[in-house]
Amino acid sequence: MRQNHLFNRRPTVSADRSQDFIEQIKTASGDQKKLAIQGHGSKAKWLPPAKSDDVLALSDHAGILQYEPEELVLTARGGTSLAEINAVLTERQQMIACEPPQLSHDLVNHSSGTDADADTGTLGGAVACGLSGPGRPWLGAIRDAVLGVELINGEGEYLKFGGQVMKNVAGYDVSRLQAGAWGGLGVMSVISLRVQPCFATEQTLHGEMSASQALALCAKLGVRNLPITGTAWIGGQLHIRLAGNDSGLTAASSALAEFGLQDHAAHPDLWRQVRDQGHEFFQKQPTRQRNAQTLWRLVTPPAAAMPDFLSDLNQDALVLWGGGLRWVYHDDAQAVADYSRQVGGWCWAVGETMPIDPMQRQIMVHLASAFDPHGVFACPLNLNLNSALGSA
Amino acid sequence: MLSRARLLHNIRMNTLPQSSASSDDLVQQSPAHRAVLNRLQALLPAESVITDAAGLRPYETDGLTAIREMPWVVVLPETEAQVADIVCCCAEYGVPIIPRGAGTGLSGGARPHQEGVVLGLSKMSAILDIDPQNRIAKVQPGVRNLAITQAAQAHGLYYAPDPSSQIACSIGGNVAENAGGVHCLKYGLTVNNVLGARVVMACGEIVELGGALYDNPGPDLLALICGSEGMLGIVTEVTVALLPEPETKAVLLAAFSQVVDAGSAVAAIISAGIIPAGMEMMDQMAVQAAEAFANAGYPLDAEAILIIELDGAAAELATLNSQVTDLLRQHGAYQIDEAHDASAQARLWKGRKSAFPAIGRLSPDYLCMDGTIPRKALPKVLTEIDTISQTFGLAVANVFHAADGNLHPLVLFDANVPGQTDHAMAMGAKILEACVAAGGTVTGEHGVGVEKLDTMCVQFSSEELEQFFRLKAAVDPKALLNPGKGIPTLTRCGELGGMHVHRGRLPFPELERF
Repeated sequence: MRQNHLFNRRPTVSADRSQDFIEQIKTASGDQKKLAIQGHGSKAKWLPPAKSDDVLALSDHAGILQYEPEELVLTARGGTSLAEINAVLTERQQMIACEPPQLSHDLVNHSSGTDADADTGTLGGAVACGLSGPGRPWLGAIRDAVLGVELINGEGEYLKFGGQVMKNVAGYDVSRLQAGAWGGLGVMSVISLRVQPCFATEQTLHGEMSASQALALCAKLGVRNLPITGTAWIGGQLHIRLAGNDSGLTAASSALAEFGLQDHAAHPDLWRQVRDQGHEFFQKQPTRQRNAQTLWRLVTPPAAAMPDFLSDLNQDALVLWGGGLRWVYHDDAQAVADYSRQVGGWCWAVGETMPIDPMQRQIMVHLASAFDPHGVFACPLNLNLNSALGSA
Repeated sequence: MLSRARLLHNIRMNTLPQSSASSDDLVQQSPAHRAVLNRLQALLPAESVITDAAGLRPYETDGLTAIREMPWVVVLPETEAQVADIVCCCAEYGVPIIPRGAGTGLSGGARPHQEGVVLGLSKMSAILDIDPQNRIAKVQPGVRNLAITQAAQAHGLYYAPDPSSQIACSIGGNVAENAGGVHCLKYGLTVNNVLGARVVMACGEIVELGGALYDNPGPDLLALICGSEGMLGIVTEVTVALLPEPETKAVLLAAFSQVVDAGSAVAAIISAGIIPAGMEMMDQMAVQAAEAFANAGYPLDAEAILIIELDGAAAELATLNSQVTDLLRQHGAYQIDEAHDASAQARLWKGRKSAFPAIGRLSPDYLCMDGTIPRKALPKVLTEIDTISQTFGLAVANVFHAADGNLHPLVLFDANVPGQTDHAMAMGAKILEACVAAGGTVTGEHGVGVEKLDTMCVQFSSEELEQFFRLKAAVDPKALLNPGKGIPTLTRCGELGGMHVHRGRLPFPELERF
């Protein structure tokens, strides 16, 4: 029925493990044991692990089940590697718009430019952790790409939500709710994603400027119709990624010349490096001594002024998303928290507990108990009803 | 087949059973209702608590006018604190709350409850902030969709989702329904364009979700609120993303002598890596109705037409335009009209945008369905709709958001002919079943409300429906917010005929069969 739409290269489709997962969940529930849902473990160090008795190994449950480029939809098992999905999509000049990060097991020792990316994250992990790449403000977040999930809840029930169509308001949006849940609501057995055509051409411009100049320029460009799909300010340089067809890029780059932005041949890997934390900024042993050791992920309104507590912005900050995402090194947690509250954002020392507003947390905990009433899933957000409210 | 009487019966079955109060006669209320009314009258100015029949009448229905019920009381708060107080008061006495925006919803999501309070948000209509630096607008829920774009225009920005009711519908209602529009494939639905919300929960507590921020910690509550039809919380403030207005636009009209050709042209455009801002299809009946109404210059002999909007920078658009034109010709378009100036573009769009009233002129009544299907299933589903139409003896006109697979078959009928309303509703349900069978969904953008409760039984298994109920109970344990909407009870599904058999298991083995 669909033979001529399917990809040519048949990737590995492993055995369907969902029935095993159901058994494992029911057994664990009966024994009052906790299961840690694990894909490649590429983001295992991003949060302190929750106490668990056993692993539910999602990466054994892999494979692209359906991909029809003209429908712009790809359906794959939760354990499918992002690397494989990206390879299959690239063959048909398509992509996951938000470019989910492909991370090394070791957040801080990842060396740049490595091709050994086979186990740099699964689709399930990408959705569960809700992380999006450098194009987030322009191309959407991972949650925007999610169209449907087949979920195994804490009762071992196999449930289908959403679907493979772009528009679907039947029932609560349980599919997108999974984004950022870190596995606390169930095992994503199968995920359908909206994909999109790759851009015909990409080009990166750059210009030297301070962080505050870069923020002001990004805000100014934001109200103009320009084919921007990424910005990165680092080390006193603003890089802007443009994407579109040739004539569009030619026009855009000449429009940006008036702001001192020029074509930039260096670092073809820049966007991948900032996406996957392969950039030198993230390395544990940088060539120059760092001013602070704690790495913060700061999500702020894009135009918010830079914090004034950093001793050297050029060295301690990497600003993405037109200003909406700031990675900074700083050791005074209170100062960072005060700043993010003041600008209306949120901050997270990656590797430490993720801060969640108490009222939101309460809702999340109740939701988690609706999906996992016996607390089978060892979620690093600690959403278990019995233990979480006390420790929040 | 489901009769209208049965439908109304079922709708009531999903709500509180006992009905002692007549809306016209407030004296006969329960002590709890009297206590609530006293509290509401103390909380709000006199004109914001409506109890008289004449004042209540405008609230008895929404855009789904086939279903009506007089509310007990309507309240029109002006502040978030008042909303929270109303919710606390109703929660204390167990009185249902039916949130309402502009009342333009098409699925009966705002249908009142005869013992409940309609909480209308129309007075909370302030635009709180237009922030061009962060490209967001912060607005109260009663702000009209189009008013956001109008306020943002001074900065060269606009709010992308544009449901056809955008001059009237409110942003709070858009969030509740996850409203779409004709530009969804490129710019997304409401859920993709809302960055933050303040929500009064069923317990009366206020939670702030997101903000001018591109992501948030934990499970995506904001996505959950979008499309939850007022059943999980009451939105009292919304932060939406604004986009720069496209530099240029082009609108193309392509005529085809076969529907299948139009469908393959759509697939070819997407396959070529082009995402048009809008891509709409109309079948011959819809074209003829629209043309008679709007004089848009549509070719009357076409079996199907496509209206395609391209947007972007001028330089980029020129290339795109010729690419799309070539593809349309290759796939059998026998006539292509291009509109490059605003007035010609408006004329081409006018026919499409007036398709519903145009059909309204052809037929005394029509039912607008809202299935979504994978695009590839279009020829098959259209053929099935044709067969269903012949079986039921009622005509159908099809308008279709071709880019994203969202189909709006309009079932033509005459409510004055005894039994024809039931017949049309039954036929609509069959069409939605065909959409589900093709891998689609019973509602793309109009919501379930009360209208599609029965078809939900076709799409979801009993375990899935129970999961929805547990989710609801987690945030609204007393089921006070918009009870009886969105998710059908298992009993209701069990009583229906053709049910969904999930993974080979018979649904509802726990229920007795008669």
